[in-house]
Amino acid sequence: MLILSRKLNEKIIIDDRIEVTVVGIENGKVQLGIEAPKEIEIMRKELLEDVKEENQKAVKNKKLLDELNNIKFDL
Amino acid sequence: MEIMTRDFGRLEIDQSDIITFDSGLPGFENLEEFILLPLADESPFIIMQSVKDPDIAFVTVEPGNLIQNYEFEINDKTEKELKIESISNILILNIITLKDKMKDSTANLSAPIVINLEEKLGKQVILDDHRYQVRYKIFGATEEVAE
Repeated sequence: MLILSRKLNEKIIIDDRIEVTVVGIENGKVQLGIEAPKEIEIMRKELLEDVKEENQKAVKNKKLLDELNNIKFDL
Repeated sequence: MEIMTRDFGRLEIDQSDIITFDSGLPGFENLEEFILLPLADESPFIIMQSVKDPDIAFVTVEPGNLIQNYEFEINDKTEKELKIESISNILILNIITLKDKMKDSTANLSAPIVINLEEKLGKQVILDDHRYQVRYKIFGATEEVAE
């Protein structure tokens, strides 16, 4: 892993097209500004991990399917 | 072709009904082909069954059943991947996680499944949107299910 040390407002460039700026440092929190082409998907990693875990849980519980048959929503 | 399903036993399906997820789903990156099977007549729930793995099936529902004004932007990358040209053939589904107590069951509003029905291409997109939770209680405060 490459480790770079940056100060407030300093930037790094990835692959000539992704620019990451340190826009805030406060109470152990770093705020990053990211400018990237639209086709680059950026998300917090823990959210992706959370979705993976939830998907794996979702396929497990099938014993309630019969009960589901009787459910209709009001909206 | 005939496939084995988790909830409906052996089923004859039409190859042309298979939805392809080019990069699988998060946690199931190796499963690229799914088929949509209504749980029952009149039921809002749709089972999204893996074609390859009989054990893998998701209970899903269209978000309009769960909340009003569910909205998100489909980004350029997804639009290209799913070959989306108009929104008229787009189906949005949210995965349900059933809990032992039915009323605790949740829907993943943070990661909707976007399907282009015309091209039969799908993708689970992840919204980094604080309004939409990974575990949204589908029965909220209402008691629609007898315990």
